[in-house]
Amino acid sequence: MKRLNLALRLLWRDGRSGELTILLAALMIAVSCSTAISLFSDRLEKTMNNQAAEFLAADLVIASPAPLSADGLAQAKQLKQAQAVEFPSVLIEHEELLLASVKAVSALYPLRGHLKITDNESLTTGSPSRTASRNSETYEKIVRHPPAIGEVWIERRILSALKLKLGDVLTVGEKPLRITHILLYEPDKQGDFFSMSPRVLINKEDLAATKAIQPGSRVHYLYQFSGDEQALLQFKQTIKPQLNPSQRLVDVHEDRPEVGDALSRAERYLGLSSIVVILISGVAIAMATRRYSERHFNTAAILRCLGCKQGEILWLFSCQFLALGIAASSIGTGFGWLAQQGLFYLLRDLLPVQVASRSLFAMLFGFATGLAILLGFALPPILRLKKVSALRVLRRDLEPLPTSAWLVYGLALSLIAVLIWRYTQDLKMTATIIGGSLLSLSILGGLLYLLLIKARKLLPHLNLTWRFGLQALLRNPQTSVSQILAFSMTLVAMMLSFTVRTDLLNDWQLQLPANAPNHFALNIFPTQLQDFSADLKRQQIGSNQLYPVISGRLVAINNIPVQKIVSKESQGERATRRDLSLTWSNSLPNDNKLVAGAWWNAENAPKNLVSVEEKLAKNMNIKLGDSLTFTVGSQQFKSTVSSLRSLRWDTMKPNFYMIFSPKTLDDFPSTYLTSFYLAKNQKNSLNALVKKYPNMTVLEVDLILAQLKTILTQLTSAVNYVLYFALLAGFTVLFAAVYATLDQRIYEGALMRTLGANRALLRKTHLLEFSLLGFISGILAVIISQVLVFALYHWVLMMDYHPNLLLCGLTPLIGTLFVTLAGYLGVREVANKSPMLILRQQ
Amino acid sequence: MIETVALGKTVASSEGDLQILAGINLSINSGESLAIVGASGSGKSTLLSLLAGLDTPCTGSVSLNGQDLTAMNEDGRAEMRNQYVGFVFQSFQLLSGLTALENVMLPLELAGDSKAKLKAQMLLERVGLAHRLTHTPKQLSGGEQQRVALARAFVTKPAVLFADEPTGNLDSKTGAHIIELLFELNQEQKTTLILVTHDKQLASRCQRTITLEAGLMI
Repeated sequence: MKRLNLALRLLWRDGRSGELTILLAALMIAVSCSTAISLFSDRLEKTMNNQAAEFLAADLVIASPAPLSADGLAQAKQLKQAQAVEFPSVLIEHEELLLASVKAVSALYPLRGHLKITDNESLTTGSPSRTASRNSETYEKIVRHPPAIGEVWIERRILSALKLKLGDVLTVGEKPLRITHILLYEPDKQGDFFSMSPRVLINKEDLAATKAIQPGSRVHYLYQFSGDEQALLQFKQTIKPQLNPSQRLVDVHEDRPEVGDALSRAERYLGLSSIVVILISGVAIAMATRRYSERHFNTAAILRCLGCKQGEILWLFSCQFLALGIAASSIGTGFGWLAQQGLFYLLRDLLPVQVASRSLFAMLFGFATGLAILLGFALPPILRLKKVSALRVLRRDLEPLPTSAWLVYGLALSLIAVLIWRYTQDLKMTATIIGGSLLSLSILGGLLYLLLIKARKLLPHLNLTWRFGLQALLRNPQTSVSQILAFSMTLVAMMLSFTVRTDLLNDWQLQLPANAPNHFALNIFPTQLQDFSADLKRQQIGSNQLYPVISGRLVAINNIPVQKIVSKESQGERATRRDLSLTWSNSLPNDNKLVAGAWWNAENAPKNLVSVEEKLAKNMNIKLGDSLTFTVGSQQFKSTVSSLRSLRWDTMKPNFYMIFSPKTLDDFPSTYLTSFYLAKNQKNSLNALVKKYPNMTVLEVDLILAQLKTILTQLTSAVNYVLYFALLAGFTVLFAAVYATLDQRIYEGALMRTLGANRALLRKTHLLEFSLLGFISGILAVIISQVLVFALYHWVLMMDYHPNLLLCGLTPLIGTLFVTLAGYLGVREVANKSPMLILRQQ
Repeated sequence: MIETVALGKTVASSEGDLQILAGINLSINSGESLAIVGASGSGKSTLLSLLAGLDTPCTGSVSLNGQDLTAMNEDGRAEMRNQYVGFVFQSFQLLSGLTALENVMLPLELAGDSKAKLKAQMLLERVGLAHRLTHTPKQLSGGEQQRVALARAFVTKPAVLFADEPTGNLDSKTGAHIIELLFELNQEQKTTLILVTHDKQLASRCQRTITLEAGLMI
C-alpha cells in the first residue's frame, strides 16, 4: 500500500510538472476516438437490426418456392410464426386487366413493424413520395394485423386501373373479396423502384378459395419467425442444413436497405479511421514514454541504490502508468461519449428517429482500449527502467540496454491487428491491411530516411540559420520520419475524403447534360400512351422513348436453373432473386452499344430473341446463342441470346438488362415507362399529369439525387469528424517529438547564446525546422493522395482523374502553417531561458 | 564489517583491457571511518561502488557484514543496500519530483517502516531543515540539498555510510558545515563511514586513510 502511495505521489508530481501532459493527451485522444466509434458502431448496429427486422416484418424469414414441411415448422415451436404467400395474378374488373402481386398473410402478420392503410380515396397523386408525405399528416392509419377474412386491401392505383372504389368487390382468382382499405405501406415489400405490380393483400384463410395457385404457378412462400435471440439462433442452426438450394434463409444481418449498406460501410470506414487515430496516438505515446523513461533513469538508479529490487522498480512505474491509464481512459471515455453524440447528430438525417440506446459494454471497450494502447506502446520503454544500473548514481553516462525491437513492435502490431480484426471481422483482410500498411510505411519511411540522410550533404553550402534549421531536422532522422509520416497520413486521409466526395458529386452532375431526364414515369397503361405523349408535347416536356415493361424472372440458362449456375457471392445472384423489367424494342436504344452479336431487323424480327446487358451476361456466364428461360406470372417462355449490349446506368434514361425482339412478350399485359426532363419552374405540370393519370407512378429523380448528395455529405462529414481526432493525434506526435529533444534543444540554445547567438537567430532556426517538417509532410501527402485517388478513380470508380490543383497547392501550405505554429509553441522557452542557469545545471 | 580480497576491476577499451583496480585487500571494522584518497582516475569511485555493492568486481570478493556481495545477484545486493547502507553523493541525487520530507521518507518507505514520516521529520529537524519540509530540490540551495541527502542517508540508521566527494559541488563554507554535520551524525549513530575525497584535510578527519594510484593501493 505504501509503495502504491509512493507510486501515486511520484505520478502526481510528474503530472504537476507537465511531464505527463503529452502522454495523457495522446491517450485521451485515442480513447475518445475508439470509445466514440465503438459506441457509434454498437448503437448503429442495434438500430439497423431493429430497422432491418421491421423491413423483414420478422426476425428471421425462410423464403421458399414451395411450402415447407410441417416437420420443419414444428422445430420453431418456441417462436412466433406468420406466413405470407406471394404470387402474381391478373385481375379483371369492368373489362380492365391488371397484373397484380397478391399476398396472402396469416393472422399474426406482421410479426415486426406495421402496415399503413387509409380509407381516403380522394388523394389523386401517383408519386409515392408525394402521397406518403401528405398521408402521414392526416389520413393514414397504422395497424398490426392482416385484412379480415373476406376483405382485401389494395394499392391505390388498382382502384383507378380497374375503375373500382372502396367497398366494391374485387375478385382475386375465383374469390370475391370486399375492398375495405387502401394499402399505403407494408414493411416487407421486396423490390426496388421498378417493381411495378401493385399489391393486393388478403387473409391467408381466403387463399384456398381463390384457386389462384395451380401446379406450375410461380409462388413465393415466406415463413416469418420472431422471438428471443437464443431461440432464433437455435432454430436457425437446426433449419439451415435442412434447406434446399432454392430456399433462402434471411435474417436481419443479411437483408439491409440501401442506406443501411452505406451506413455499415461508413461504420467500417470509421472503425478503420479510428485505428489510424490509435496508431498515430500510439506513436506519440511511445515517444512520450521514451522521454519519460529516459528522464527517470536517475530516479530508478537512486531507488536501486536505496535498495529497490528490479521487480519493485517495474511495479512502481507500472503502477504509475496503470493509474495514468485509468485516469486518461476515464476522461477519454467521457469525451468519446460526447463525440459519439456528435456523430449521431451529423448523421441524423440518415438514421431513424429512434436510435438504440448506448451500451455499457461499448464504453467499457473504449476504456479497455485505452489500457491496451498503453500496454502496447508504453510498456517497452517502461521495461527499460527496470534495467537501470544502481551505478548510474556515480556514472551518469550508464544507460540501460534498449528493449528488444521484437517486443517494441510486436506488442504494438498485435494490438493494432486485433483492433483491425474487430472492425473487419475478416482475418484475410486484416492481414492484407497490416501487410500492405507495413510495406507502404516501410518503403515510404525508408525513402524519407534516405532523403534526410542525403540532405546532410547540403549543410556545408547553407547559411547559419538554414544550417541549424535543417540540422535540427536531421539530428534524429528516425524521429523526423515518424513525425512526417504521422502528419502525411492524416493529411492524406483528409484529402482523400474531401476529393472523393467533391468529385463524386461533381462528376455525376457534370456528366449529365443540362437537360438530362430527372423524372421517371412508370405504370402507364397502353391505352393511355397516345394521350400521355400528347400531354408531354403540349406542356413542352421532352421525353425519351416509351418502353413497354413486363415484370419477369430469369429462371434457367440452357435449361439449368440459375441458382445452380450463380454462386451466392456473384453479382449476378441479385438478378436471379428479383423480378427484372423486361421490354421489347425494334431498335437498339440510343445510348446502348452492341458488343457482340447482331441487332434484329426491325421489319421482320424473329420472335423469342433477347439482347442481354454485357455485365449481367458476364456475371451469369451468358453467351450468344444461349437459351434463357423466363417466367412471367405463371407462364414460362424461352428466348435465344442474339446480342450483348453495353450501356451506362447513370444516364437517367430507361435502361434494361433484357430487351426482347418484338412480339415475344405480346401474350403478357404490360405497362409503359419513360423518363423526361422537367425544369424547376415546370414542376406544376407534374401535378396535372399525376391527376390525369392516377395509375402512373412518378419518381422525382432530382429529389433522389438531392438525398444521395445529403447521404454523401453526411457520411463524409462523419469520416472527417474522426479525422479531426487523427489531426489532434498528429499534433501530439509533434509535441512528443519536440519534448523528447527539448532538454537537448535548451542546452544547445543556451550554449549558442553564450557563444553570441541572439534569440532571433534561435527563433528563426526553429521556425525553419518546423516549416520544413510541415512542408515535407504536405508534399508527401499530396503525392500519396493523388496516387491513391488516381488508382481509385481509374480502377474502382471508373471516373476521369483530374488533379485538384488548388487542394494540392494548399495542402503543403496548410501543413507548413499548422506544424510551424504548433512546433514553435513547443520550443518557445528554448530562446527565453537564462543560459547561465541552464549551463550551471548541466 | 567490510572485507575485500584481491579485489580487481577491468574494463574493455579500444586499446585492450584497462585495469581500473587491482589487488585491493581491505578490512574495515564496524564504526571505523575510512577515507579513500587519490588523484582523478585513480579508481576511488570504482572502489566505493564495489564496496557498496553498486557494481561487481572482475576478480576478488567483497563481503559486507559477513555476507559475500559478489556471490549475490543484483536484487540480493539491493536488499543488502536497503538493510545496511546509506549514501551521500557529490551531486546530491535527490528525486526532483519529491519534497525534502518525501525524499527522506523514501528509504524508510521502501523498507516498510510505518513511522517513516515521523523519523524523516525528526532527522530533517536535526539537519536544520524543519522549515523546508515541503520544498522540492529545485527550491533548495546546494547546501540545503546536501543536508536533505545527509538526512536521507542517516534516516535508516545504516551500518555503513558511503560518501562520494560530499562537498565537491559546494563552496568551502557550506562544505565545511556539511562535513561537520556528517561527522556529528556519524558519531551519534556510530556508523561505519567510508569517504571518497581528494581533499587531504577532510581525509585527515577520518580514523584511517588509504591512497589509490592507478588502481593500486599504496
